[in-house]
Amino acid sequence: MAASSPAGYLLVLALVVPVIGLLGMSVTALIGLRRVEFVAFPVLVAGLAVAGAIATTVAETGEALTYVVGGWAPPLGLALRADGVSAVMLAMAALVVALVALNARALFCADDATPDGRRAFAFWSLLMGLWSALNLVLVGEDLFNLFVALELLTFAAVPLVCLDGRAATLEAALRYLVFALIGSALYLLGTALLYGRYGTLDIGTLRELTQPDLATHAAVALMIGGLMAKAALFPLHIWLPPAHAGAPAPASAVLSALVVKAPFFLIVRLWFDVLPGPPSLPAAQVLAGLGAAAILICSVVALRQERLKLMIAYSTVAQIGYLFLMFRLTAEPGVPAWQTIGWTGGMLQLVSHAFAKAAMFLAAGMIAEALGHDRIAELAGAGRAAPVSVFAFGLAGLSLMGLPPSGGFVAKLLLLNAATLAGAWWIAAVISVGGLLAAAYVTRVLKRAMATPPAPLATRPVALSRELTALTLALVAVALGLVPLQPFELLAIGRP
Amino acid sequence: MSGPTLYGLAAALLVGLGLYGVLAQASPLRRVLAFNLMGAGVFLMFGVAARRGAAAGLPGDPVPQALVITGIVVAFAATALAVMLMRRLAQTRAEEAAAAASSAPAEHG
Amino acid sequence: MTLSGLLLLATLATPLAMVGLCLLPAFRCRVFGLLAVAPLPGLATALVAPGGTLLLAPAPFRLVLALDAPGALLLGGAALLWSAAGLYARAYMREETGRAGFAIWWLLTMAGSLGVFVVADMTSFYLMFSLVSLSAYGLVMHESSARAERAGFFYIALALLGEACLLFGFVLLATAGPVGNQLIADAVSTLDASPWRAATLTLLILGFGLKMGLAPLHVWMPLAHPVAPMPASAVLSGIVVKAGVIGLIRFLPFGTPLADWGGALMALGLATAFYGVAIGITQQHPKTVLAYSTVSQMGLVAAIAGAGLAIGDTGVTGLLAYYALHHMLVKGALFLGVGVIAVTGSARRLPVLAVMTVMALSLAGLPFTSGALAKYAAKAPFGDGLAATLATLSAAGSALLMLHFLRLVASTSKAAPEESAPTGMALPFAATALASLVAGWALLGPATGYTLANVLAPAALWAASWPILLGGALAVLLFGFGRRLPRVPEGDVVVLAERAAPLVRALGAGMERLDAVLRRWPIAGLSLVALVLALAGALSLAP
Repeated sequence: MAASSPAGYLLVLALVVPVIGLLGMSVTALIGLRRVEFVAFPVLVAGLAVAGAIATTVAETGEALTYVVGGWAPPLGLALRADGVSAVMLAMAALVVALVALNARALFCADDATPDGRRAFAFWSLLMGLWSALNLVLVGEDLFNLFVALELLTFAAVPLVCLDGRAATLEAALRYLVFALIGSALYLLGTALLYGRYGTLDIGTLRELTQPDLATHAAVALMIGGLMAKAALFPLHIWLPPAHAGAPAPASAVLSALVVKAPFFLIVRLWFDVLPGPPSLPAAQVLAGLGAAAILICSVVALRQERLKLMIAYSTVAQIGYLFLMFRLTAEPGVPAWQTIGWTGGMLQLVSHAFAKAAMFLAAGMIAEALGHDRIAELAGAGRAAPVSVFAFGLAGLSLMGLPPSGGFVAKLLLLNAATLAGAWWIAAVISVGGLLAAAYVTRVLKRAMATPPAPLATRPVALSRELTALTLALVAVALGLVPLQPFELLAIGRP
Repeated sequence: MSGPTLYGLAAALLVGLGLYGVLAQASPLRRVLAFNLMGAGVFLMFGVAARRGAAAGLPGDPVPQALVITGIVVAFAATALAVMLMRRLAQTRAEEAAAAASSAPAEHG
Repeated sequence: MTLSGLLLLATLATPLAMVGLCLLPAFRCRVFGLLAVAPLPGLATALVAPGGTLLLAPAPFRLVLALDAPGALLLGGAALLWSAAGLYARAYMREETGRAGFAIWWLLTMAGSLGVFVVADMTSFYLMFSLVSLSAYGLVMHESSARAERAGFFYIALALLGEACLLFGFVLLATAGPVGNQLIADAVSTLDASPWRAATLTLLILGFGLKMGLAPLHVWMPLAHPVAPMPASAVLSGIVVKAGVIGLIRFLPFGTPLADWGGALMALGLATAFYGVAIGITQQHPKTVLAYSTVSQMGLVAAIAGAGLAIGDTGVTGLLAYYALHHMLVKGALFLGVGVIAVTGSARRLPVLAVMTVMALSLAGLPFTSGALAKYAAKAPFGDGLAATLATLSAAGSALLMLHFLRLVASTSKAAPEESAPTGMALPFAATALASLVAGWALLGPATGYTLANVLAPAALWAASWPILLGGALAVLLFGFGRRLPRVPEGDVVVLAERAAPLVRALGAGMERLDAVLRRWPIAGLSLVALVLALAGALSLAP
């Protein structure tokens, strides 16, 4: 545990490469470049390569990658660690960020000297910061270190919401920030309690130490509560719909696909690595119950939205609900959680939702660009104006609905399977009804988009290359449906 | 009552006050200030943890102090970001109101 | 790869490849004309490759194609009807715009419908079943009218409901067995020992019954069939509903007698058989009447399956396939015929009407037609109690319904007296009708084990004839007093469902208001505090 792996430096690279990009952007003028995106793309390629290298190393060696910062082993020093789940999520984040960046290039390509250049600079530098913070959340081992990572993530995400500078989006960003800050304070309070009780914040060390007493339970409850506020679990989704709907489409894609997954990932770590003993069933029921409420209520609300992006945002809240079902479905007596199909199903749901939702937001953005608005009632003609985008939207919708072949389908199958084994029939019913509701809100949009408009529309062309990025993301979500129906080894690598 | 207990209660009081303020206040600025109050309570809690760490034989545990300093920086950054957003919001609202006021007569005329 | 494996692959791959080629504009312009070619590999497979298997992907995926005897019967019939309907569509939809889009939905539906007959593993079956179910939506919605919109809504809503039931049923089935994608036969064999047998069977019957149009979930059929273009109605009613039949054939555990389940399915089927007739005779549109006839006929098929399940007779799968094949070709011919009659003038109508009459009464079991053979073969599992009597009486109901249909269809043509249908329509119609007779006679022995001597015995002929005579007598009554019958709207109980729409909308609005309340700042903050407390409390409880 104390020593770094031979390839452990890759973890540092995953954190540092985006930061190098960020620094490079602030000196573009000095090095003679006129646009920040010229810095962004080499960095994206490098980051993608690092994430790919981490994923293949973890998969090949079958062991977690570890890096002990400065050779100071925990509990005094900090460790970075990537197990199977982290490696998968790192790769997912890199792929989503890269494809979203390709799509965003046309939107944020203004010359530094122009007024729009400030927006372009803000977008690219925030994207880099966000990516680095996200990677830190995924590989961090120290609870305070993770707090800093989460804060950095929030600070990068909030300005992305209000890039267009309208009062409405500024308000959404402010609401997001303040609510997230309450969550952070609660998380930090829990961290203080844990430190006071055990004298360490290293997850690997805490795992051995924690006792089922009131202080530990209170601390973990505070931390999970704070994280739920940041993950926008129903009924704490107060900030998500206006923020995700107001941001520019590429920013929404990253926020919805990746940013809300980070706090969820930390909840998973707290739940399985810090909480002592077998997971508590009543608490799992609470989380799963909230997830179920999210699926049912927010899907219906999504169905009633008039704006495409708001609908997708509500769909995100509903889909986050599926993730929280996992805590109930991995509670099999005598079996480690990561060897249950509930674990595989939950993680696959997370990954396929990330790709599908990113594709959907990008597609919605381009449909809105082509038509000049995103009112669902007036989408007729979108199929003609941006056919590839509408197709990508449909493919991504397939995954959200859980229809074959798609990652969402396999995830739903595994979750249903786990619900059966756990005897949690109500969860099975909720998953099935949620699929129907998702089908309703996706087909509602597709049907309008495929209709012929009453009068010929004046549409703006959208570059095919940008549409293809959305399509690629959607195809990845579909391709995830080709994984076999059983617990994956990869997702259990490096679990104790 | 021992020192750590007293400090712990004070920290809890601060967190409680801050939480109440964040939830009950309508103005964003007051909410952000209340958040800082909450933060102060949390940092005090770390201080209590440092005193208890002294049980290990040291005069005090240095780690929580490092954490508190980092935490203060983060909270300061958050406050700065929030205040900046509020300023921009106020400006933009004023501009949008002015634009609406100047275009409204034109529409009617 | 063996020849049969190659053919199995081609069955699936040909329509899908044609969809893929539609990305090329040059091909997209011409694809509509080639629809009749796409199912031909399927036809060849049905003739040449019964018994063949092909492992598409090894473990852990284990995608397997295989063709057993019931699958071959249905595959052959379906390929034939797809081909005839494809040819028919060329003439029928000569001048329509949007034909390329129609062709893509058509090919996707075709791939799925042929696919369900040739796949042997659970995942592929679900995939193919979804493909045929969901793609048929495009066929229903082709004519973009308010009527089609309503039909499409109920079609897709019920199809997705059926998918959800099936998916959960499959999951229960798979969970009872080993991990991974299992062959259907293996999974079904574990059903006996499954702790969730009742739930699994309920969900499977619900899912497949929905596709077959068992009452009261039949409502999509009388809405969808009349609004689709004629060739699409033919394949919807003839082939797409058979996805439910092959589901029952493959997934019901016929190996062990399950008297309760069999009895329940039989009761549901027979009730549907009579219900379809009862509502059908109040309808005034020939295609709607045909749709109700399909409801009634599929009720009978479900009853046969129930009877087989009750006595634990695996031989009933052959009977089911044989009956379904008969219905497939006859119903297909009838739908195609409705279009032919509509463009045939009164002077030339007699031969068409004659063929239509034979086909229509074939559904009621007219001697010497495939219907008589199928009904004869299907009698055995019912034994000779009340169920057998009811099954026979349902033939009288069919005769009544079909005479009502013939009367309607004879009076619909608006064509000039000397006009005749184009060959492109008349030929597929005649070929399908002929195929129903030929296939019926040729496959009687192989599929059911009966001989010609059995079905041509005077007692058998009389048993086939009297329900028709009874139906004729009832028809005379209907024609006399039919006006007094209540006018039941298309889709009958769907009207009741639509009455609940304001309630559903109010529920939705209520949820939206709840969401708005929860998203108010103080309330969201309080929920956060409450959640933390609840979580701490729950964690402190003993696990």
